[in-house]
Amino acid sequence: MVLIAWIGLGIVGLVAGAFLFYFNRFAVLGNRIDNSLSQIDVQLKRRADLIPNLIETVKGYTKHENAAIKAVTEARKALVSAKGIEGKVKADKGLESALKTIFALAENYPDLKANTNFLELQRELATTEDKVAYSRQYYNDSILAYNDLCKTFPGTFFAGVYHKKAREYLNLQMTESDRKKVDVKF
Amino acid sequence: MNEVKRIDFRDQIARNKRKSFFLMFAVFLVIVVLGYVISKAYEPGLFFIIMIISIIGSISYLLISYYNSDKIALFSVGAKEAKRGEYKQFYDIVEGLTIASGLPMPKLYIMPSRQINAFASGRDPKHSVICVTEGALERLDKKELEGVLAHELGHVESYDIRYMTLIAVMVGIISIISEIFLRSLWFKSGDNNDNKGSIFMIIGIILAILAPIFVFFIQMAISRKREFTADASAVKFTRYPDGLISALKKIGQENQPEKKINKAVAPLFFANPFKEIGSTHPPIQKRVEALERM
Repeated sequence: MVLIAWIGLGIVGLVAGAFLFYFNRFAVLGNRIDNSLSQIDVQLKRRADLIPNLIETVKGYTKHENAAIKAVTEARKALVSAKGIEGKVKADKGLESALKTIFALAENYPDLKANTNFLELQRELATTEDKVAYSRQYYNDSILAYNDLCKTFPGTFFAGVYHKKAREYLNLQMTESDRKKVDVKF
Repeated sequence: MNEVKRIDFRDQIARNKRKSFFLMFAVFLVIVVLGYVISKAYEPGLFFIIMIISIIGSISYLLISYYNSDKIALFSVGAKEAKRGEYKQFYDIVEGLTIASGLPMPKLYIMPSRQINAFASGRDPKHSVICVTEGALERLDKKELEGVLAHELGHVESYDIRYMTLIAVMVGIISIISEIFLRSLWFKSGDNNDNKGSIFMIIGIILAILAPIFVFFIQMAISRKREFTADASAVKFTRYPDGLISALKKIGQENQPEKKINKAVAPLFFANPFKEIGSTHPPIQKRVEALERM
């Protein structure tokens, strides 16, 4: 009798432990997704904040590059006003290609290329672009971990109990209209 | 596939924590036994006092080395803190990698050496340090440096740093203690002539010789597999094995053995600071092959 009671108690303990463990796993992995999402946002905002400074520096050295400068300003505006993380990441793609034009143009202006402020901004923008890529990678990794937990046994059982569903990856398929927006005219 | 990998990884962390605990416990026992042997060999009358001293001493030694192992390792290679303004690229790369790995930002250090090398240390990811040589910063390009630093972050993430630094620091001290003991024997001959004393003296000598060798072998066995795992983590963070491969090849071609580095801290490093034979690291060629298969 005593033995059966102990075994029963052990089983109850194990089940309760499993419920607790999975509750915490879902909470931890869910938080990780939210944090990595806000990390992408932080890096994109940092990029947008760097642009006005860059424009000022470039304007001081160039005369006939208004189209390129305007394209960057427009792309920045698109980034700042973009809604949702997918829209923002797409807008950042546009900003990146507009910036490429500016940096290519800088080759024609030796004074600009030698300007420490300009070099610093160029480095900083490249770094933030790396960080955006890394934070997107971590975001997708976090989703992968979360979805693995949701879709494998016994996690799939607890996902049902706690009403947790697999989450979506970042969908960055560029549509035709997105692509047109970022065109740079000369 | 990925799920399996992730669970393995959590196992690895648990294993490292467990091993660190057992290592500290074993070191505690070794010190107490050494204290016992030394007291029997020299002054049987002071047995209890020596035992109490060695127990208190070993516990405080364990606590001090647990909380300061990273500082001891950094001090022993003459590293100094990297200033953010001076080493921008170093900071940029590590910041990017901490985002990719979700790890907290480690403290960054520079050590003076022409070699291309790096190591990570600390007791957990929140108290971690990464140190690179001046040579690595000068001679590696951005992608290569990124690979090397991602490898070091791999050691941080898996708690290798705790176990490896503890081993390095504790081995260092044990070998120093037994060296002192051995050396003092040369000046003590003739004082202790009864049989009982000399038996303990022999045991003492044997222990003193064996202790560092014993730990040296543990050290070798542990760090070889870890390098492959950390290489794999580096690829997981950067998604770019070529940077790490090219850094390893550069090290294989250019690195000269470094004489200034203490043997005890060698396993911490990215690449073996000495020669390949009897080394604490797998051969570079093997690591490159494993990376090329990824």
